[in-house]
Amino acid sequence: MKTPRELLLARHQAANAKLDVLRREIVARQAAAPDRPGFLARLWLELIWPCRRTWTGLAAVWLLIIAANLSLREPRPALAQRNPEPQIMMSYQVQEKMLNDLLADRAAPPDVERPRFFKPGPRSESFHRYTV
Amino acid sequence: MPEVADNATLPVTQARAGEPAAWDVLFRRYQLPLYAFVFELIRDEQAALDIVQETFIAAVRHIGGLREDAKFGGWLFGIAHQKCVQRWRKRTEVLLDEVPEPADDFEEGPDELLIRREQEAEFMELLNRLPVPQRAVLLLHYLEDFPLEEIVRITETPLGTVKSRLHYAKKALRQLLEARP
Repeated sequence: MKTPRELLLARHQAANAKLDVLRREIVARQAAAPDRPGFLARLWLELIWPCRRTWTGLAAVWLLIIAANLSLREPRPALAQRNPEPQIMMSYQVQEKMLNDLLADRAAPPDVERPRFFKPGPRSESFHRYTV
Repeated sequence: MPEVADNATLPVTQARAGEPAAWDVLFRRYQLPLYAFVFELIRDEQAALDIVQETFIAAVRHIGGLREDAKFGGWLFGIAHQKCVQRWRKRTEVLLDEVPEPADDFEEGPDELLIRREQEAEFMELLNRLPVPQRAVLLLHYLEDFPLEEIVRITETPLGTVKSRLHYAKKALRQLLEARP
């Protein structure tokens, strides 16, 4: 009496020799040139692919957040007019002129040298200077 | 049911790391059941050997895609089943036969089907007469004692359909074995 498994395996026992050869070839090839995936492939296979549903869900949530953010954002104020009105231009020119005048006054060298209140010297003299 | 090697002791983790010795152990464990499964589906020795070889190469290449080490056997049979399906598609053979809806009286769990020597030829003959989808499910059940959920994953078939196929295949086999003492 045999179980179906025993019967099936016994029936194909003759193929085992060929399967051994085949197996050894593949293992030898693996030993000679290990088929190890690169860093990106490993990242994809071990991190992304096993949790692909989770990653897809996260990506969908982020897309929703970005879409909601874009749709709720207020429209940007219109850019300042490139050709301002003549009144504004005139006031700007007046201000510019006033500024130039002020700066011109400052730029001129002082006519008289300002008195200096402190003159460096020996400490003994300074004592007499203040006590007299 | 036949004893099946404990999957927990298989060196799947070492195989993931690319150790050739680990691959040797894994392939040695599965080579004959896998070949029997493929051969009984496609009935061509050379093609069955080719498919087993392609399955092993694909396993080495895509081991990173395997989620649970304990499911290595089912994963390997899934690759082989896909390759059989691809072969049928190339040859434009009809793969799927219409199967009745799931049977209510389906009995899950081990069964003690034992075949006498004089019934062996009849058993194999009946197995070959079964439609391919029923044969695939029955082979997975008998060869590796895969649970229904695993057979669902391997064959990419709904649970109800797998139950139905297994039920009718077993029923047909029992009828044969009981009818001819």
